[in-house]
Amino acid sequence: MKKKKVIQIVIVAVIVLTASVGVFIKVSQELASNERPILFVPKLMVDKLEFWQVMNQGVMTAAKEYKVEVKMLGTETESDIDGQIAILEKAIEDKPKAIILAASDYNRLVPVADKIIDAGIKLITVDSGLNGGISSSFIATDNYAAGLKAGQSLIKVIPSEATIAIVNYVKVSATAMDRERGVRDSLSSYTNIKVLDTVYSESSAQKGYEVVTELLKSEPSITGIIGLNEPSAVGAARVIKDKGLAGRIKLIGFDSSMDEIAFLEEGVLQATVVQKPFNMGYLAVQTAVQVTSGEKVNSSIDTGSEVITKDNMYTNENQKLLFPFVE
Amino acid sequence: MKFRSPLQFKSIHTSFAIAFSCLILCTTVILSFTSYQLSADAVTENSRDYTTELINQVNINIETYIENMESISTLALSNDNLKRYLSNPNTAEKDQLSKQVSSFFQSIVESRNDIASIMFVDSSGEAVSDRSDAQVKSYPELSGQEWYKQAIEAQGRVVISSSHVQHIYQKEYRWVVSISRQLDLDKNTTSSSGVLLVDLNYNVINDLAKQIRLGQRGYVFIVDPLGNLIYHPQQQIIYTALKSEEIPMILSSPDGSIVAGKGSDSKIYTIRTNRYGWKVVGTTYADELIVNKKEIQFNSALWGIICLIIALAISILLSYTLTKPIKRLDAHMKKAEKGDFDNRVEIESSNEIGKLSRTFNLMIGKIKDLMNQIVEEQEMKRISELKALQAQIQPHFLYNTLDSIIWMAETGKMDEVVEMTSALSKLLRSSISKGEELIPIAVELEHIHNYLTIQNIRYRNKFTYSIDVDPSIHECKILKIILQPLVENAIYHGIKHMAGVSHIQITGRRYEGYIEIQVSDDGIGMNDEQLRYLISRINMTEGVKGVGIHNVNHRIKLYFGRSYGLTFESELEEGTTVTVRIPELEGEG
Repeated sequence: MKKKKVIQIVIVAVIVLTASVGVFIKVSQELASNERPILFVPKLMVDKLEFWQVMNQGVMTAAKEYKVEVKMLGTETESDIDGQIAILEKAIEDKPKAIILAASDYNRLVPVADKIIDAGIKLITVDSGLNGGISSSFIATDNYAAGLKAGQSLIKVIPSEATIAIVNYVKVSATAMDRERGVRDSLSSYTNIKVLDTVYSESSAQKGYEVVTELLKSEPSITGIIGLNEPSAVGAARVIKDKGLAGRIKLIGFDSSMDEIAFLEEGVLQATVVQKPFNMGYLAVQTAVQVTSGEKVNSSIDTGSEVITKDNMYTNENQKLLFPFVE
Repeated sequence: MKFRSPLQFKSIHTSFAIAFSCLILCTTVILSFTSYQLSADAVTENSRDYTTELINQVNINIETYIENMESISTLALSNDNLKRYLSNPNTAEKDQLSKQVSSFFQSIVESRNDIASIMFVDSSGEAVSDRSDAQVKSYPELSGQEWYKQAIEAQGRVVISSSHVQHIYQKEYRWVVSISRQLDLDKNTTSSSGVLLVDLNYNVINDLAKQIRLGQRGYVFIVDPLGNLIYHPQQQIIYTALKSEEIPMILSSPDGSIVAGKGSDSKIYTIRTNRYGWKVVGTTYADELIVNKKEIQFNSALWGIICLIIALAISILLSYTLTKPIKRLDAHMKKAEKGDFDNRVEIESSNEIGKLSRTFNLMIGKIKDLMNQIVEEQEMKRISELKALQAQIQPHFLYNTLDSIIWMAETGKMDEVVEMTSALSKLLRSSISKGEELIPIAVELEHIHNYLTIQNIRYRNKFTYSIDVDPSIHECKILKIILQPLVENAIYHGIKHMAGVSHIQITGRRYEGYIEIQVSDDGIGMNDEQLRYLISRINMTEGVKGVGIHNVNHRIKLYFGRSYGLTFESELEEGTTVTVRIPELEGEG
C-alpha cells in the first residue's frame, strides 16, 4: 500500500512540476516581450525641419526592425536647453530601457546625463555629443572627415594658386570646430593656397551674406569659399549670385536645403557635404538595442557624409539624401 | 528463484495505473507531436499563402497604376490639338494650340491625383506641360534627363523609369515614377517629333507598399529590372551597405519564394514580377516563422501536458475503481486467513470479480462445514475410544474370570489355573500398556488368542476355535480391540445357549487394497428379521449405547472411511459370520 502511494505522489508531483515550469516559461516570455520602451529625445520636435524628420524615419524603421517601442519627447526649439534637461529629469523616473539623446548643449546636459547613467539607463548620443563622451555610444557624422571632404572638393575646382575663405557658424560648437579643422588640414599641404581667417555667420544666412560681402571687399582675390553649415553656405551663395561672381568664386557648402539645391543647379554652389540623418536614427536605435542586450558597441559610430555636386545629385543614392521622401 | 521483474508491482492498482499511464503518455506524445507538425506546416503554409496573396495584390495595384499612365500617354498623344500643334509651322497659331494642349493636360492631371505632371517636349525644344505658368527648365537640360534620352532610344516604345526626383521645373523636386514615350512619327508628314512624359506620384507606390505588414518585421520592396530600388522602407540604409538585399539573386529568380541568408538572419523573399519587369518582393523573416513555431510548440506541449494530467488522474481513478472489488475480496480473504469463516463478500456485479466473490463465499462456506464436521468427528472418535477402553476390560468379565480361577484352584486344576491366569495377565498387559489406536494385526490376534483361551476355560470347552490369518498381513495395521467384541458376541449370543461343542473360526485374507477378517461361529444364528434389526442398529450414528459391535463399526468408519466397516451373514441354526473390512495399511519396516 505504501509503495503505491509513493508512486502516485511521484507521478502527481512530476505532472505538477512540468505544468508549472511550462506556465513559468510562458509568463516569462510574455514579460520579456513586454519590455520598457526606448526614449528618443531629439534637439527639437518641430516637424518642419527635414533633418530631424528624416532622423525620425530612421528611428522608426529600426524600431520596427528590432521590435522595440520608441517614444519621442522633445522641446519646441533647439535653444531650449533647460526644457531638454527637464524632459530628461522626468524621463529618469519612467525608467526607459535606454535614452537616445541629441544634446542641445555640449556642456550643460552633462549633469543630467550622469544621472541617467547612474539610474542604470543606457545613454546613446546622436548627432550632437556631450563633453567627456560619457554615453555608451556617440552616433554622428565624423565632422572632421566631412571637413576634409569639403576641402578636397574645393581643391578640385580652384586653380592651384588661390585664396580661400572659411565661413563658420559658431565659435564654441564641437561640430563647427571639427569641420573647420578638417577643412584646414585638407588644405595645409598646398603651399600656394592661402586660407584666410575664419568669419562667422552665427547660423544666419543674412549675417553670412553680410560677413561675406565685407570679406570680398577686403580680399577681392578670393576664389574659393567654404560655408560650414547651411545658412553660411546660402549666405555666401547669395553674395556670389548677386555680384555675378558665379564661376569665378567656387563655393562648397554643408547640408542640403531647397536654396542650396537651386544654387547647385545654377552652378553657384559647386558641392555640398551632406550628412545621413536617416542612418543616424537607424543606427542609434540599433546601438541602443545592442547595448541593452549586453553587446559591446563602438564608443563612436560615424554615419558618414557624401559630397554632392551638380553631376551626381540625381543618382539613386544621392537623390534620397538630397530630397528625402517625407510624407 | 526469488527474482522479480522490475515491471511486476505489488498491487494490481499500480500495474494498472502504470500501464494506463504508459499508454496515455505514448498517445499524448504522439498526438501532440503530430498536431504540432500539422499546425506548424499549416502556419508556414498559411503565412506563405498570405504573403503571396498580398504581394500579388500590391503587384496588381502597381500594374494598374502603370497601365493607367500608359493609357493616359496614349490618350495624350492621340490628341488632335497636339498633332496640329506639331504640324503647324505658324508661330501665332502654335501658341494658341499650345495653350489648348496645356489645358487638356491640366484637365487630366486635375482629374487624377495619382498623376503628378504631364509634359510634352518637342524636338524643336518647345515644352508643353499641364502647368501654363510653370518655369520649365531649358531644353538642353530636359533633353539631358534620363526619361528623355531613353524615350528617344526606345523609338516609340513606352519607357518606365525607376522612382526618382523629377526636376523638369525650376525649384521643384518631386518623387515620381516617370513613363515617357516618343511620339510615333508619321513618315508622310513633315511634322516634328517629341517625347511625352507622364509622372506618377511616388506617394501612390509608397503608400501602397508601406501599408503592407508581413509579420512584425517583414516588409515589401520593389526593384526594377536593372536592380534599382523603386521602393524600399530602408533605402538609405541599403545604400550605406549597413543592410543589403540579395538583388542579383532576386533578379535572376522566377516568381515564387526563395530563402536568403542563414540562421536567424535568413529572410524569405516572395517575388512577383509584373509585365513591366518590376519585381515586387515580400520579405519575411524566417525567425518570425520560428517564433510562431515556438508558440505552437509551446501550445502543443502545454495542451499535451494538460491532457496528460487529466488522463493520468482518470487512469488513477479508473485503476482504483477497477481494483477496488479485488482489494475488498483480498481483505475478506485475509480475514478468512485469520480464521473468520463467517464473513461474506457482498456481490455487487456479475463480472469476473463477482463470480470470484461468489466462489469465495461458497468456498469459505464449505470450509466452515468441513471444519465443523472434523470437530464433530474428533469428538466422536474420542468417545468411541473411551468406549473401546471400557469394552476392553469389563469389570464383569474380570469378576467372572477371577471366579473361574478361584473355582479351578479349589478343584485343584492347577494347570488350568496357570493357563488362565497367564492369559488374563497377557490380556491386561496388552490392553493397558500401549496407547496407540493402530496396532499390527499380529498383536490383535495375540490379544484375541488370550481372550479365547480364558473364555474357553470358563465355558468348559463348550467351543473350539481356530485362527487362520494369512501371515503376510500380520504386520498390517488394524484398530485396537476390534475383534474382541465380535468374538464376545459370538460366544454370548451364538454359542452359549447351544448344546454340544461349537466352533469359532477367525480367518484373515488380503484383497486388492483391503483386508478382510472374518469371525464365524456355527451357533444358533439369526433369522432375517433379527439380522435386519442388528444391521439397522449398528448403522445408526449415535444414541446406541452398550452395543459393542456398533462401536466397532462406528470406529472403523470414522478411521478409515465409509467404505469400510462390518458386514453380517447369518442363517438360523447355521451360525453367523461377521466380516471386518479395513484398508491395507502396511506397518513400518
